[in-house]
Parts: sequence; C-alpha cells; structure tokens
Amino acid sequence: MTRKKLAATAVITIAGMCVLPLGLGIYPQHVLITSLFYVMMAASWNLLAGYTGQVSFGHAAMAGIGAYTSGILAAKLGINPWIGVCFGTLLAALLGLGLGSLCLKMGGIYLSLTTLAFSQILQIVIVNEYDVTRGTMGLQVPGLMGDYSKLHYYYIMLAAAAVILVILYRMIHSNLGMNFRAVQNDETAAAAVGVKVLQMRVLAFTVASAMAGFAGALYGHYLLLITPEIPSLDLQFYVLAMTVIGGMGSLIGPVIGAFTLNILAEKIRDYGEYHVLVYGLVALLMARFAPNGLIGIWQRFKPVRPR
Amino acid sequence: MALLEGRKICKSFGGVQALSEVDFAVDAGSIVGLIGPNGAGKTTLFNTVAGAFKPTSGRVVFNGTDITGRPANAVCRMGMARTFQVSRPFGAMSCLENVMVAAINRRPGEPRASIERFALEKLSFVGIPELEGVEARQLNVIQKKRLELARALATEPRLLLLDEVMGGLNTQEINQAVAFIRSLRDKLGLTVLWIEHVMGAVMQAAERIIVLDQGRVLMAGAPQDVVADERVIQAYLGE
Repeated sequence: MTRKKLAATAVITIAGMCVLPLGLGIYPQHVLITSLFYVMMAASWNLLAGYTGQVSFGHAAMAGIGAYTSGILAAKLGINPWIGVCFGTLLAALLGLGLGSLCLKMGGIYLSLTTLAFSQILQIVIVNEYDVTRGTMGLQVPGLMGDYSKLHYYYIMLAAAAVILVILYRMIHSNLGMNFRAVQNDETAAAAVGVKVLQMRVLAFTVASAMAGFAGALYGHYLLLITPEIPSLDLQFYVLAMTVIGGMGSLIGPVIGAFTLNILAEKIRDYGEYHVLVYGLVALLMARFAPNGLIGIWQRFKPVRPR
Repeated sequence: MALLEGRKICKSFGGVQALSEVDFAVDAGSIVGLIGPNGAGKTTLFNTVAGAFKPTSGRVVFNGTDITGRPANAVCRMGMARTFQVSRPFGAMSCLENVMVAAINRRPGEPRASIERFALEKLSFVGIPELEGVEARQLNVIQKKRLELARALATEPRLLLLDEVMGGLNTQEINQAVAFIRSLRDKLGLTVLWIEHVMGAVMQAAERIIVLDQGRVLMAGAPQDVVADERVIQAYLGE
C-alpha cells in the first residue's frame, strides 16, 4: 500500500470510529471501550511475541501495574488521575526494563515461565495487600473527568489506541522494526550481521510494557473499580488469543482480533465462561493451521491484482 | 601482517575439549583454508573467533585489537563477517530485507532508498537479483547460501569466514565458486578464512591451509606441503 492510500485509509477509519458510537446505547458503547483497551493490549503484546519472538505471559500484569499505580495514587493520595496514568506507564516501563533484562539470556519457554511467575507473584501480592489494594474486593478509584460519560471515555480510549498504533507503525517500519524481525527470525544470524540482539529485546520489552501500563491505567479509571482481574492470566490468555487469531506479526491483525473476539464474547455471554475455552482452542488451531491468523487467511484469498 | 590471530585458544563444553591451545594466523589479503576430519573443531573455532562462543581460555586478536569474548554483533561491526554451515536466513523476510538488515546496522542513518539500492547491488553481486522479493524460506539450499553470502558482504567486512560453501555443487559449479571466492579477494580486497570439505576446491583457491584434528592444529602450510604430509594423511585415512 502506498503512503497516500494508507493515510487515506487511516483517516477514513478514524472518522468512522468517531461516528460509530453516536447512535448506540450505553451497553454497546461499553463493549467498544473495552475493545479499545484490548486493541492496545494485543497490539503491544504483538510487538513482543510477533516481532521479537518473546512470548511473555506478564503483559496483563503490566496492565495491572499501570492500573494499580494510577489507582492507588489517585484513591489514597488524591493525585490527579492523568498524572497517575503517567506514573503507571513509567512504572510499567521500568518493570518491563527489569523483567526484560532478567530474561535476556532466556529464550522460548524459559522466558514464558519467568514472566508467568512474575504475573502470579504480582497477583498474590495484590490479593494479600488488602490495606493498599483492597484485595479481591477491588479498589474504588476516581474517574478521569468530573462527569461520567461513556462517550467521553470512548474518545479518550480511541485517541489512546490511535497514538499507540501510530507509535507501533513507526517503530515497525523503521530500522528498529527490521532489526526486531531479524531477531525474531534467528537471533544467532541477527547477531552475526551486526544486530544488537540483547538491546533490541529489552527495548521491545520496555516499550510494550509501557504501552500495557498506559492501557491498564486508563482502563482502571474507566471501570472505577480495579480488581485483580486486570493482571490475571485470564486476561493474558484472552489477549494472546486475540493476537494469534487476528494475526501475529502484522500491525492490523491484533486490532481485528481484539474487536472480533471481544464483541463475539458479548454475544455468547449466555454460555458462561466457556468462550475463554473456545478461544483457547481456536487460537491453538489457528497457530497450527493458519499461523498468520485472520489477516493471513484474508491475504491468501483476496483477489490478486495484476501488477 | 596478520589480520586475524588466535593465541592458545581453548574451548570446552562440559568435559569435552573441543579446542585445545589452537594457535593460528591469517594474513591480510590472503585466502586461507581450514580443513580437518569431521569433529575436528573447525566450526567451533569459527564460533569462538566470531563471538558466538566465548573461549575457555586464550585470545583472539583481530586487526590489532583483542576481541576475546566480545559479542558477535560487535565483532561484525569491526569488520568480520561469516556464513553458517547450515544456512540461517531470516526465513519470514524477503531476500532484499535479509540483506538490508546487515546494511542498516553497518550504515546507520542512511536513507532507506539508498540502503535498498545497496542491498540490491549485493544480491546482484552473488547472482540472485531476481529473488529480491521472495521470502527467504522458499529458496533452495544453494540460493540460501548465496543469500547468506550477500548478507555477509553487506556488512562490508575486511575478513570473511566461509563455512562449507561448496557442499551440494557439481564440478562445474565448484569451479565457478572457486573463481568467485578468488574475486572476493582480488576485486574487493577481502581476506578469506574458509572451512571446506571439498578438498579440490580449497587446494585450488587457498594459499595457505590450516589442518585441525581433534581440537588441535595438526599443521599449517602451503597446499602442496599439506597434502603430502604424513600426519594429515593419517588424520584423514586413519593409521
């Protein structure tokens, strides 16, 4: 796609997204807002798993860090939520830097297990530090604005998701993105042609964590009640399924995956939590038979125009 | 003057001594062959020199600088490039992108268009410009080796380490490849250290041969001296 065409598509999409919630009721608006949160989560997790080959299970934990940092600052110390969001993003970035450095020499399953442990430890701490976090009861936090309007939150989340996607787009299409992909394809060969493999991995980890922290912090102030469900493995695997089913290693795949799965989940809510199980199975099948996800299937079957 | 020097390089994996006190030197502007029976430690020596492994003891000196233990990417940026025994292309990237990865790290800050031109030049140099848009995983073995060579050349090295580039070629192709390796030195001024099992090829192109056996340097010398040496014949054929 040429730059002009791409810019046009982006403008039309954003304009469409701006108009979309206007005629809708409160409940569909809520579904769209949560979808935008998942767009940010899946797109940034994709930077790790899809572009540098680091399958982290600590991404939801980073969202939890962002949400609880901002929430605690606002609820306990009365700090402005917007400043809290900045702190939440920063702390997630720092922890991402630390966790990424810890996992530097680890590949594949070891990195996954370490991040899994991190995520579990964080959840245990949150559940048990009742005085600070209110445990499983959940922490009540103030909203981002004085008045509570779903529509306003929708536009905030839309703007946030757009900013994150633009940053990701620019990264992926720069030299950095090319180095990321080289690292994902073959670390040894990447190092042999001069790619600073360890730096690239830590950088991706830090940026992705910051994005998750940012998304989590905003989401917390939208929900007004932060519970350990944000940094949970359920949410982690939900994000994983969205990315895998949408299409790993493409920018638009996780966006499609997030909307599709989250809206579908609302439609089949009557069947209880079975949708998580179904998504897990579908993600498994996709990983085996259509590793490039829905985007890959679309690219395979779309009509080819003669060049 | 020696461009690359190994001083008493030792490398062991657990209890296995893969290299013991390997001393060698590669003069600037020469083509040096590295031969030896299977398991002699040739590829381990490459990995140790190029920064993929840290030596257990000993030093590696490149271009007057001690580079022992430096990571592979740093060694590459100093001007040492390598190919792999079994090719390791970036499978999900196009051939052009494969070469561009090497170029962007050698020439940071250069505009994308000029990097692409440079990468395409390298693909043409190894004879596969028509494959620029093809995903690397779809190439056959010989094309992959060419791609890897183009990628190595795009790092603009002074020293090129080649690991078995002749495998799978027929006689005519081998002759072409020998001429090609000579041209790397004669036209580009590269120094070449070259592991090869196809003995005829390495004897034609190299001025000097280093023979490894069981992790030790058995001998080093001119090709005609090496093939006549009793110890070398024994190492290959047994007692």
